[in-house]
Amino acid sequence: MATPDAGGACVFEAIGLTKEYDYGTVQALRGVDIRIAPGEFVAIVGQSGSGKSTLLQMLGALDHPTAGELRYRGAPLSAHGDLASYRAHEIGFIFQAFHLLPTFTAIENVQIPMFETHRSTSERKQRAMELLKLVGLEDRLHHFPSKLSGGERQRVAIARSLANGASVLLADEPTGNLDSENATLVLDLIVRLRREQQFTLILVTHDMGIARQAGRVIEMKDGRVVADTLNSTSH
Amino acid sequence: MTFFTVITRGLTRRPVRTGLTIVGIAIGIAAVVALVGISRGFETSWATGMKTRGTDLVVSNMGSALTPKPYPATVVDRITPLPHVAETCALLADLMSVETTDMMIVSGRQWGGFTWKNLHIIAGRMPHDAAERAVVLGQTAAEVLKKKVGDTLQLETEELPVVGIVDGGAIVENGSVILSLPLLQELTGNEGKINVIDLRVTPGTTKEELRQLCDQISALVPEARAVIAGEHVRDSQAYKIIRAMSWGTSLLAVLVGVLGVMNTMLMTVFERTQEICVLLAIGWKRSRIVRMILLESAMLGLIGGIGGVLIGIVGVKILVQTPAIRGLLEPDLNPQLLLSAVGIAVVVGVFSGLYPAWRSSRLTPSHALHG
Repeated sequence: MATPDAGGACVFEAIGLTKEYDYGTVQALRGVDIRIAPGEFVAIVGQSGSGKSTLLQMLGALDHPTAGELRYRGAPLSAHGDLASYRAHEIGFIFQAFHLLPTFTAIENVQIPMFETHRSTSERKQRAMELLKLVGLEDRLHHFPSKLSGGERQRVAIARSLANGASVLLADEPTGNLDSENATLVLDLIVRLRREQQFTLILVTHDMGIARQAGRVIEMKDGRVVADTLNSTSH
Repeated sequence: MTFFTVITRGLTRRPVRTGLTIVGIAIGIAAVVALVGISRGFETSWATGMKTRGTDLVVSNMGSALTPKPYPATVVDRITPLPHVAETCALLADLMSVETTDMMIVSGRQWGGFTWKNLHIIAGRMPHDAAERAVVLGQTAAEVLKKKVGDTLQLETEELPVVGIVDGGAIVENGSVILSLPLLQELTGNEGKINVIDLRVTPGTTKEELRQLCDQISALVPEARAVIAGEHVRDSQAYKIIRAMSWGTSLLAVLVGVLGVMNTMLMTVFERTQEICVLLAIGWKRSRIVRMILLESAMLGLIGGIGGVLIGIVGVKILVQTPAIRGLLEPDLNPQLLLSAVGIAVVVGVFSGLYPAWRSSRLTPSHALHG
């Protein structure tokens, strides 16, 4: 198994990470051990039910592990006093179904996470404009999600995930709801932004074509890591 | 975009439902304004009436009826010698159905008593003496009864000529049929009986002396009770019942509003479960979610409250023009009542949002990845 940066500081270190549902009748994660270094682009692959999305939830502190330990930058995440603050400032999420708020325009959706910062109203607006320009949507600022194409919606979601300057981007099947043209566009955008901004990218996918673009591929099956390989042909 | 924008967007996403909820609260608050305003108006109208008549103390027996119970007119003789008593005027007042009206104040007054002196003739004249079988009408009573000087008025079994129309300076006075005490005693079969003594005290009498005089009179006259003018209505059993019923009915209406807001906010939380989970996933604190839900429901209350106050004011204005109560009272829609009504609406809003807010705070952000 690949263990990059084994001796140095990790962004994430999972030790025997276990997640059970329904009083132990469903075991989504069965003692996962992984280390992820800063700036890595990791693809987590596996069939449906393999535990890849559950692992992403644990990394994003959306749920608590049943057993084992998850460390973020050396410190146990369970000891983190304010997980909302962790999600707001350290992590950016991109969802398969975009999950934009339908009653807010593109620029407003990007501002939503910034309520948990000390930015003023005008600073939030300015930052959202910059981010939407970065994803090529400067002409769609005041469009509601219903007036945007799938690819545009996902680009708004990408801008939103970067709103608070996250150092880790967690993407759950970010191209799953897109046609091939938009999927390529969105993936290229994420890859380009990672290269420019040097954030750690952890992407869940079942598409091996997408996974091949990552620097490292973790394959999961039945809640366990069954392969962890470095990809020399990645971006 | 401010947090206030987030609140308003939450409310405008389902405009019809939000509108109906606001109407629900508004009706409840309108009921508070109307019923409490009217019951308070009943009290203040009588107090103003007393003030314009120059009455300091009222000796009456306000039992559970809307009008005081009659007692012997000889009581006046026991009160007159007491210290600080300057002047008395015996009355027999009743709420009666007069011709087309369901309820009107009919006031028989001791001839020559001070309560005649605040009446200013607008048309016609006063009765010549206590023996003249005639009435004068307050100007509102004349309007309601559609009478002018020279017409006759059917009072109990007798047709009495209207000899004058007067301005009494207060709604209670202007809404009254006024005649001499012996005539009303005869017409109602209450010979030798009165039910109110209006009393003036000597100038310079202190509030404390006034209270002492009340106690003295109450001890001396077991048939009745002396109360400072204006307070006699507030202390009456009937008024207390009216007030309790007003608040009771109002609170029931408000309760309906509470259930409406709670239902709306619960629906909102259920509908927006995914959104709330996304907000948690992108870093919103649970306290911010709770604040969002509570502010949305408080906003519903505030808008409903303001709407309810406006509906209440208009409703009361229309209500007091109805023949049944026209001229009987002036609603007391003071700013304190109106602000309290809006305050109640906001509290109702916040209270109704507590459970939905609690529900929303228990959602887990991992649901954001589903669906």
